Amino acid sequence: MKKAKKQTSYYTVQGIIKRGLPVLSITCVIGIIVGQVLNTREKSLLSMPAILILIPSLIKIGGDTGSMLGARLSSAFHMGLGDRIYRNPVVHNSVIAAAIVGFVSSISVSVLVFLASHFMGFGMPFLTLLEISLIAVVIELLVVYSATVAIAFASHRFGIDPDDTVIPLIASLGDLVGVMGIFVALHLLEII
Amino acid sequence: MPPESHREEDIFESQFIDRYLSEYASISSIVREALPFELLATVGGVIAGIIFSGMTSELEMIPGLIVIYPGVLGLRGNISSTLGSRLGSAIHMGLITDIDRNNPELTNNISGSLLLGFIMAILLGFLGHFVTLALGFESAGAFKLILICAISALTSGVILSFVAVLLAIGMFRFGFDPDNVVTPSIATIGDIVSMFMLFLSAKLVVML
Repeated sequence: MKKAKKQTSYYTVQGIIKRGLPVLSITCVIGIIVGQVLNTREKSLLSMPAILILIPSLIKIGGDTGSMLGARLSSAFHMGLGDRIYRNPVVHNSVIAAAIVGFVSSISVSVLVFLASHFMGFGMPFLTLLEISLIAVVIELLVVYSATVAIAFASHRFGIDPDDTVIPLIASLGDLVGVMGIFVALHLLEII
Repeated sequence: MPPESHREEDIFESQFIDRYLSEYASISSIVREALPFELLATVGGVIAGIIFSGMTSELEMIPGLIVIYPGVLGLRGNISSTLGSRLGSAIHMGLITDIDRNNPELTNNISGSLLLGFIMAILLGFLGHFVTLALGFESAGAFKLILICAISALTSGVILSFVAVLLAIGMFRFGFDPDNVVTPSIATIGDIVSMFMLFLSAKLVVML
């Protein structure tokens, strides 16, 4: 290592690692749980490549829109716009907007997956893909947004700054709920 | 209880705040800003999914690979997007202006995130192996899983750090705010690159 000279810079390797390790370790554990959920159904997943294409993009939607929601809520709190959960236009509109973005993206995911899987020769009916996406997204968005609003309000109440810590947590929570949502959808549609 | 006149002012003020808020947070403006990025991210996700569906033979040959895949993707995304947002802040503060190998702010940021990725990869492979065994499933072994995690974390880390630095500095030069561009693009490219590197390192480990 050739960083023997005096640490005068703003960003240090040590500082970056010290701030990153705790949160990343938690997300790592959640990631392993998600992996184990997938592992229990590995056989049936491997027989349905179209679902394999669907998984990475579908489970991202909840985390992405949830982090956007969390960032917006925490900015609103920082600006002092509203302290109430109920009848608060910021909370209300941000949740609705995030849900619209989530639903439109899930429809676009099912279209893209349908096209991709048809080109690769293991097509699945479009309606099935759309149903799986919509059921999974409804479950994912309900859980992730409730958690996001709750975490944002709690950290505001207790004076914690929800910047670097909350968003990775919401992203990995989104992965977890997303995979479970997909499995619930597959069970409801009696595919596995 | 405040006097009557204050109450009226309060009501007026709260109505004003409500009106301001509904303009600041109107549904259509949020959707317009967020939807294009999210649609782009889903395209990235589908490309990552196509690579994932091409990995079925590796998934069968390396039991436990499916366990570490969500962690590998999640870690890479988290580490690279925080690198991107730190680079944005550093550029805004004037600490980084150029691609300069002697600038400790830049090199510390990159080596910090690479080292962090490496440590987490070892933890991930380790956890992946032992949790899989504990639940009674078959695992390819701690060494293989850690090797796959470490190779894919390092290679995708190098590629994504390079992309993040080029994007952040390039976007700033052309007059864009790096904060608005770097994080969404890294989120999109990150999935594709880390899935591809996971695929390659799994292929490599199968050959061993």
